[in-house]
Amino acid sequence: MIEKEDPVISEEEAAQYDRQIRLWGLDAQKRLRGSRVLLAGVGGLGAELAKNLILAGIKGLTLLDHEQVSEESCRAQFLVPVSAQGQNRAQASLERAQNLNPMVEVHADPDRVEDKPDDFFLQFDVVCLTGCSRDLMVRVDQLCSQHNIKVFCGDVYGYYGYMFCNLGQEHSYVEEKLKVVKPSPSSNDGPEAKKAKVDPNETTMVKKTASFCNLKEALEVDWTSEKAKANLKRTPVDYFLLHVLLKFRTDKGRDPDPKSCADDSQLLKQIRDDVLEAMGLSGDLLSDEFISYCFSEMSPVCAVVGGVLGQEVVKALSQRDTPHRNFFFFDGRKGNGVVDYFGPN
Amino acid sequence: MAQLVGSLRKELADSLSSCKVLVVGAGGIGCELLKNLVLTGFKNIDVIDLDTIDVSNLNRQFLFQKKHVGKSKAQVAKESALQFCPSANITAYHDSIMNPDYNVEFFRQFMLVMNALDNRAARNHVNRMCLAADIPLVESGTAGYLGQVTVIKKGMTECYECQPKPAQKTFPGCTIRNTPSEPIHCIVWAKYLFNQLFGEEDADQEVSPDTADPEAAWNPEETAARATASEKDGDIRRVSTKEWARSTGYDPIKLFNKLFKDDIMYLLTMDKLWKKRKAPTPLDWQQLENSAHPQEESPTTSGLKDQQVLDVWGYCQLFQHSVESLRSQLQEKGEGSELVWDKDDPPAMDFVTAAANLRMNIFSMNMKSRFDVKSMAGNIIPAIATTNAVIAGLIVLEGLKILSGELDSCRTIFLNKCPNLRKKLLVPCILDKPSLNCYVCASKPEVTVKVNVQKTTVLSLQDKILKERFGMVAPDVQIEDGKGTILISSEEGETETNNNKFISDFGIRNGSRLQADDFLQDYTLLINVLHTEELERDVEFEVVGEAPDKAPPPQSNQEEVNSITNGNKDSAQPSTSSKAAADDDDIMIVDSDEERGAPSSSAAVTTSTKRKHPDSETSETSTKRPRTDQSAAAAATDDDNDDIIALD
Repeated sequence: MIEKEDPVISEEEAAQYDRQIRLWGLDAQKRLRGSRVLLAGVGGLGAELAKNLILAGIKGLTLLDHEQVSEESCRAQFLVPVSAQGQNRAQASLERAQNLNPMVEVHADPDRVEDKPDDFFLQFDVVCLTGCSRDLMVRVDQLCSQHNIKVFCGDVYGYYGYMFCNLGQEHSYVEEKLKVVKPSPSSNDGPEAKKAKVDPNETTMVKKTASFCNLKEALEVDWTSEKAKANLKRTPVDYFLLHVLLKFRTDKGRDPDPKSCADDSQLLKQIRDDVLEAMGLSGDLLSDEFISYCFSEMSPVCAVVGGVLGQEVVKALSQRDTPHRNFFFFDGRKGNGVVDYFGPN
Repeated sequence: MAQLVGSLRKELADSLSSCKVLVVGAGGIGCELLKNLVLTGFKNIDVIDLDTIDVSNLNRQFLFQKKHVGKSKAQVAKESALQFCPSANITAYHDSIMNPDYNVEFFRQFMLVMNALDNRAARNHVNRMCLAADIPLVESGTAGYLGQVTVIKKGMTECYECQPKPAQKTFPGCTIRNTPSEPIHCIVWAKYLFNQLFGEEDADQEVSPDTADPEAAWNPEETAARATASEKDGDIRRVSTKEWARSTGYDPIKLFNKLFKDDIMYLLTMDKLWKKRKAPTPLDWQQLENSAHPQEESPTTSGLKDQQVLDVWGYCQLFQHSVESLRSQLQEKGEGSELVWDKDDPPAMDFVTAAANLRMNIFSMNMKSRFDVKSMAGNIIPAIATTNAVIAGLIVLEGLKILSGELDSCRTIFLNKCPNLRKKLLVPCILDKPSLNCYVCASKPEVTVKVNVQKTTVLSLQDKILKERFGMVAPDVQIEDGKGTILISSEEGETETNNNKFISDFGIRNGSRLQADDFLQDYTLLINVLHTEELERDVEFEVVGEAPDKAPPPQSNQEEVNSITNGNKDSAQPSTSSKAAADDDDIMIVDSDEERGAPSSSAAVTTSTKRKHPDSETSETSTKRPRTDQSAAAAATDDDNDDIIALD
């Protein structure tokens, strides 16, 4: 991890960040101010995440993306100017990203994330991966967790989206609790003094820790045990949908594309059957309905998942408030957002 | 397989590009919403906001940059959104949605209206306009980490006003004037004092000792003899606070000694008040000055000035300097002018910080930093980009269901801070049916109001009951006395002479019926008058069937918090500025962004008390489970200040 200078909040920053300092406090803002984040994958979800982190006031954000701007890859991408067709997606996003907040150092890097050496990742406090292959995510996650770097993965597929996070085996954070003010003995008679009061301005910080597993473990849950099967009813099917979509990405080197809707739908059905069978589960678990709703990155879904993911990165960096452990799934047709844990207990 | 454009079926994508929608509010939610709409394929969008851009908006209203500070939100939002979708046809209005130009005809041109507001008054109004025009409305709100989205469709769902919203918190006048026990009481007092000295005087905002305090059971004449301090005061009271202040030339030290010494000594003579509570300690300017340590420039901890708590002499000096600045502001504005309190005007904020802290010190409370006083005095609801992003995304998803004709699948969705017991962070709940006795959307809306007809003026019927309580903008009132007597006309100049008469002067008595109409809202409300002489002190009227307005303790609000809708600006407002403030911004609910001028308040706590049922599809039984997670508690904390409002 990089060495941190003691970040000081200036009057200018205090004015700009006033409404959030009132929510998460000055200490959290100082921690954000000293944090560097890597964002690999600057599509629709990546743009949302970049916006949220830059607005929050981190120290630096690196946008890493080797893809070129195309209509489909930038449908939900508001950082790329319309005139940038054919340019590198990270570089094309740089100017608008920087304009969101001149106090944050924003960099663009047009390399392939697969080509980056291990050292590259070690200069960040948090690494976020979107649009990446399962193998790459597993590799980076393992590398980062050895170096105490927090990892977030996320993607949006049509109306569906997810987030995964690994904040390490022991993530420490604080949580604000209301302090109950005992009636002071000096004024024990007054009717108002009698009840113990909760003064909303009097709070204490409670220290806590949370433990996370690797992405590999989270994806390789054994569903054949009796216990796992018993839990199946309470398991969001979105988890299995994620497996199907990651498998599609592995097999085709891309996500389902509206231009090849019919073929891709067929293939999704097949992959669904294969994936569930390999887990020892019934194909009925995931009905066909998802197929026509999982194409392309849908802007409002990026906004929801990018909002939740962005806030989790803020929480992780500022070490404030209980993190969501360890998956968040969003179903934009139902408006349902679930947090659940997958991995060894 | 259907043909897709992006994620959408082609038919839906086509209808988006041809339909026209209205976005009310271009603040925290509005900016995010506008982006989502154009990226989803909406092409014809009208956006309205009367507010201008402030530096404290920039942490979340991402369509704005520093160079835009002071410009119209609607206009800049439009220009920024066009950059990522130049083919969109966006019309911006820098205006209030409550302006009569935006009549039912205006609303009828839209397929869908989306609220991104931060105050209850505008939300109520848009609700009524959408009911009158029969246009579906997506309503939303955020406060801190919490947010909410819901869908309103005439005849099919609850309207925004079907569930009574908790009234703004108020504090009894005697708590503010005589016996403050919490910092907020001193802050409210300081804001009243600002208006008494520099702003519009309001009889409801008295700051001097209240000799009619029932608890004091005290007869001023009997005790006058032992109150040396009260003699001077007696003189003072014959003129208004402002006239007296003016006669001293706004001398800060004379003001100080009256407010923080003489008035406090007078309070001390009301000895019953101090039998069971700690008596206040008057401050004396000269004494403090003599004992002050000259170079106490404390090289304190963090550099931020607003975060520091000064010592008493520090607040004396702040009081002096802010009075001097405000005095010159008044002078610049000219004879007879008035100042309007604004948390973002440094001398006005300094004045309240100083006066409130001096009073806190007098009443043995721990003093507070300017930062903390500003939160409470300005009813600031914390606001972040991520919550607004989530809520704006959900608004569009609900909008898509409406435009696909799937109103049945629309939901109210709550964003929690932490997952609930069913693991849900976003909780969809089925929409309720319209309430049959809603005073807005019922077929013949009717209410019963308890008032003292001999003490209620026509003006207070108009302002406090019809406008403030029942959300009318320009009411016309007719008495159902067989003659059709017009009590209030919205036409200027027709009934102003009635304003200061009591309603009993027009024959209104127990059992009278009034018909109140708002032409713009296409809304008629029948009011049954119930005469009473037994309203609590400081209460002017009571709507039958509702609990009297009392501020519940913060704890009890916790579960309600998630019905947020932030109204921010709303409730707060009353506290001090019932008049000026109201305009906050246009926005309503939600994004609680900030409020301007008036305090905003937390929407969160404001709204409906009732919990919705979790969507049956997604969650089996757990209906109405009170929230136990800390998010609720935290939320309550965060915004609890907001809804405070005072006013007695």
